[in-house]
Amino acid sequence: MQTLHLLSTSIITSSSSLPTIVSFNCCHCQASSQFPFPKINLGLVKVKRQQKVSNLKAGFWESIRSGFVKNNTTQVIETPSSEKEEEEEEPLPEEFVLVEKTQPDGTVEQIIFSSGGDVDVYDLQALCDKVGWPRRPLSKLSAALKNSYIVATLHSRKFSSGEEGNGEKKLIGMARATSDHAFNATIWDVLVDPSYQGQGLGKVLIEKLIRTLLQRDIGNISLFADSKVVEFYRNLGFEPDPEGIKGMFCLRVLLYSCWRISHWLSTLIFSISDFSDIWR
Amino acid sequence: MSVAAAVVHGGYGYLPSKFRQFSHKTISQIKPPPPIFISTNPNDVDSNHLKDLYSLCNHSSHRFPKLNSQGIIEPVDINKLKKALRHSYVVVSVFTRPDLGPGRVSGSGLHGDWIGKVVPVTPGNGELVGFGRAVSDTGLTAAIYDVMVIPSLRRRGIGRKIVQRILRILVNRDIYDIAALCSDQEKPFFRACGFGDDVLASTTMMYTRSASTYSEGEQMVKCAGRKLLLVPSLRINLKI
Repeated sequence: MQTLHLLSTSIITSSSSLPTIVSFNCCHCQASSQFPFPKINLGLVKVKRQQKVSNLKAGFWESIRSGFVKNNTTQVIETPSSEKEEEEEEPLPEEFVLVEKTQPDGTVEQIIFSSGGDVDVYDLQALCDKVGWPRRPLSKLSAALKNSYIVATLHSRKFSSGEEGNGEKKLIGMARATSDHAFNATIWDVLVDPSYQGQGLGKVLIEKLIRTLLQRDIGNISLFADSKVVEFYRNLGFEPDPEGIKGMFCLRVLLYSCWRISHWLSTLIFSISDFSDIWR
Repeated sequence: MSVAAAVVHGGYGYLPSKFRQFSHKTISQIKPPPPIFISTNPNDVDSNHLKDLYSLCNHSSHRFPKLNSQGIIEPVDINKLKKALRHSYVVVSVFTRPDLGPGRVSGSGLHGDWIGKVVPVTPGNGELVGFGRAVSDTGLTAAIYDVMVIPSLRRRGIGRKIVQRILRILVNRDIYDIAALCSDQEKPFFRACGFGDDVLASTTMMYTRSASTYSEGEQMVKCAGRKLLLVPSLRINLKI
């Protein structure tokens, strides 16, 4: 059974600011399993182009406003240099075989590490279910993956010996980090398939993330750990509450989101009851 | 008699005028915010002014900053600052009238330059006195960093306005999981803005492994403020 191996096609199909809907596109499947990287670069280029347009628009209105305000000595100049700097920034996607195991019956299993962000949201949703995490809206999940600085994944590929490249690829682990590309990074959503846990795969994911972040001079690497995994991260070099630094979460907006959900539910119930009145 | 006079004048009326300015502030005497313009347009922020603001507030981009002998933090790298601004999802900057900005004595020049007081503040003619930014993955989570206001305009509600503006923008874009890393001094401020400990009781952890605490042959270290962070070595072909 061939798994549908999608890119986050939302990069290509819609603008970065709107919530995205992941669409199936079967003709991409075959090509993408062989050559994922050119597609990703295309997507990234498209996003940059939209950013350029919005920068130009800001400059236009600034110039109109500056014409009206008296004694305005500030010049409104489009800075082309900032766009050139953006070209060299994107982290280069890497992919390599982490471990190769040959079963007694001849099938080979490879575990492949990738930092290209090539994740199918449906696979990820299934993996989150396996680990026991609550479900989150798919559109938000795909937007989050698209806009994370690094998304590191582990896939397992099984094939019988002599048939390289035709095996089925299964998502078995993921970790992602958001960053401002300069100073701070936060690691979110680290998960490994329960049947592959205990082999040091989670360690590899995190170490690779840290290595990439530090190589880019991003020094503040933080994360919010569940009580069960504090020891795991301590062994990787993380310190809980270093020098009194704590993470605080906004509680008011959580209440607001609960209100929004209950409001939506109540309107739904009312609309259903209205609908049922028609049939009585 | 002087006591009766004090009651009539409301506290410190009996003191000569030069002493009244430095009277002890009580809760009822916290001044209202000065005329400010809050902008959410990242293009309104000039990187050099922002760098000066970091120095004025003695705020560091590193969580473990290097302090010199007077306790002053080293200036922030301007190129990294520009990069950080470009990739921040929300950027809030606060401008005020030049006479209230840093380096000016407040309350001076009441009779001169009245035009400067009448014209509304804009990013073009105002001085940068407050800043705050948030980094997000635009779908699920966001983190607030670098909220600062110059020392002379603190305790007037500006910082709270910055945080509320950031929260409003994030909520409008459907992001409810908003975190803020804060040190001991910043905790009361964020608590007053409606932040609290995680409802799921998660522990905040930061990467602090340095070469001195853990050694294994050849190591690469990266400087981050006063910490020298150890870069984990690449492990390929794991033995399972």
